[in-house]
Amino acid sequence: MIRDFTLGEVWFLVLALRWTLLLTAVAFVGGGVVGLGVAVARISADRLPRGIAIAYIKLFQGTPLLMQLYLVYFGATFLGLEANAWVAAALALTLYTSAFLGEIWRGCIQAIPRGQWDAGRALALGPVAQLRLVILPQALRIAIPPTVGFLVQVLKGTSLASIIGFTELTRAAQIVNNATFRPFIVYAIVAALYFACCWPLSRLSWRLEPRLDRAPANRRPPWNTAGSAAVG
Amino acid sequence: MATRMIVTVLALMALVLPSHAQTVDDIIKRGKLIVGVNTTTPIFGLMGKDGQPEGYDPDVARLMGKYLGVPVEFVSVTGANRIPTLLTGKVDVLICLFGITPERALQVAYSIPYASEAATLVGPGSRNVKSIDDLKGLKVGVPRGAMQDLLLSPVAADKGITLQRFDDEATGLQALISGQVDLAGTGLLVYRTLNRNDPGKSYEVKVVLRELHFGIGMRRGATDLLQWTNTFLYFIKNNGELDAISRKWRELPLGNLPVF
Amino acid sequence: MDYVFQFGAVWQDFDKLLLGAWLTVRLSAITMVLGLAVGILGAVGKGSRSRLLRGLVEGYVEAIRNTPFLVQLLFVYLGLPAAGLKLSPEQAALLAMVVNLGAYATEIVRAGIEAVPRGQVEAGRALGLGPYQIFRLVVLMPALRVVFPALASQFILVMLASSVVSVISAEELTAVADTIVARNFRSFEFYLVVTGIYLVLTLAFQSVFALIERRLFGRWAGHT
Repeated sequence: MIRDFTLGEVWFLVLALRWTLLLTAVAFVGGGVVGLGVAVARISADRLPRGIAIAYIKLFQGTPLLMQLYLVYFGATFLGLEANAWVAAALALTLYTSAFLGEIWRGCIQAIPRGQWDAGRALALGPVAQLRLVILPQALRIAIPPTVGFLVQVLKGTSLASIIGFTELTRAAQIVNNATFRPFIVYAIVAALYFACCWPLSRLSWRLEPRLDRAPANRRPPWNTAGSAAVG
Repeated sequence: MATRMIVTVLALMALVLPSHAQTVDDIIKRGKLIVGVNTTTPIFGLMGKDGQPEGYDPDVARLMGKYLGVPVEFVSVTGANRIPTLLTGKVDVLICLFGITPERALQVAYSIPYASEAATLVGPGSRNVKSIDDLKGLKVGVPRGAMQDLLLSPVAADKGITLQRFDDEATGLQALISGQVDLAGTGLLVYRTLNRNDPGKSYEVKVVLRELHFGIGMRRGATDLLQWTNTFLYFIKNNGELDAISRKWRELPLGNLPVF
Repeated sequence: MDYVFQFGAVWQDFDKLLLGAWLTVRLSAITMVLGLAVGILGAVGKGSRSRLLRGLVEGYVEAIRNTPFLVQLLFVYLGLPAAGLKLSPEQAALLAMVVNLGAYATEIVRAGIEAVPRGQVEAGRALGLGPYQIFRLVVLMPALRVVFPALASQFILVMLASSVVSVISAEELTAVADTIVARNFRSFEFYLVVTGIYLVLTLAFQSVFALIERRLFGRWAGHT
């Protein structure tokens, strides 16, 4: 049942792209929510949340994404989850994204000058309110370019989900290849499809890059007097 | 403190307690049969144009669903992950070119054979190979954990064979067509589809490493399901439905399948 | 759920895992050296006056950075033979990794070069240094010093990405684990230990980079 490579095959690839984009979106949104928590824990004055956040980030930045996928895929059932490739890929990519976004956002929060925290305190805001009302809105502006840049990484990362059997674009390429045996053209088209999705995001990330002087690293909330722990 | 201890103990118990052995009634009550199939091997399991698996194995799965009276849900598995996928409960049965061996039977329960095949090495007509000894100095691509891997790995060093292990049979075949390997591990019939798509090379079976049969795999202890499955297979062997599947995909009659 | 953990199986095959890790280390180390070289060439090309050269380098960088490594790898190993270039799994892995790292290194080194104040170059010329000497001593070394952390991060990423080359049968750490797991089905135990090995490799490489940074840049290490 080997077929010729026709427009039908190209259409199959384009349809598989849906799954790539859906997986990216789920991982990005989920990872963003968790990542915010990671970032806040990372700058906490309390040593326990900070230590856990540092270990969490080091774990995901120091191990291959493929291993993270394997562990979630083969381990999820131990936690009682009826996992399949889709759920495992979504979960693993969400955790991966949360660690990296947490680290990126921590850097953006710490780039805000200390005076801003003090100004908030002078206005009788508690630390959480300072973070929410004064720091985060400013950090958001700095955070957008690297965050959008990381979105590209997540999109590319979804290709590894093919190895655990999730049928996104890269696996679709292998399936089409097995049916038509035309690796050169199949992988060229698939590369072009990924490029078409990633390139606009990359350009957007550049355009948003503010031409600011980056503030030096020594910006911490006033209550956090611990030594600056470099991650990775 | 006490809560934490209780939670830990419960979690540990969950790891150790045996799961409920699956019966036919469980599947019927659930309303669907979840089957692990291979979707990257010609003849036995490929992805069809409509996005549903097609081939010998998916057709047997659909027959099984028909006789159970439930629809079939397919899960793509690979040679490397099929047994963990079954053991961790992600599928009910495996119908995925699952060769019957006693080593694997330590982990899974097999039904009686529903298809016959052979573990072979395939190469272009120009390659002069008739037995394992002729493989000296050649590159052979095999799927990880498959029969060819298990048979050739112990002797590869002595016989001067360069063994390349891929995640699945399909990648090995692609490596063969790209010229990356001289021979690829596959079954009896794939050479036909190779010739159709890469004409002029006259691919043929060079070495038959071992005859084998495929069985439907299920979790050990699922004796109720195993008994029903054997009954089902006996029936479709007798009434010609399995022979029809064999003729459709392998273009060969079913032939005699052993029972145990 | 009747799954009993058996970590003993991992210790039995630990020597095989270490052998695979050794290939990972070798592949990564060679890639880092060659990839940095490609990056330096690319960074120079990007600053060239020739629009064609700049365009080519930018095209290369964007093509690589906007496509997944796995697809690049499969293209090199399975697709290129159709165009006449047949590489062994290890060669294909190395080529794909170097090409991939080179694109990122180009951007990083470029940023470093642009961070060198123009006055330095003029000072070098005033001291009578030739263009090659100026580039090597006045531009390149300070540039590398500034971007060293970013380079080191990228190097770690490439080492971790090497796990993907298991797909084309190069027997590095992940592939060795895959093969063993295909026979004894102890997936979780093996992948957990392998993840630990990658963590150790990451820490080891980071230590080596810290050492190199101190030796190369002496008392300027870590300062901006």
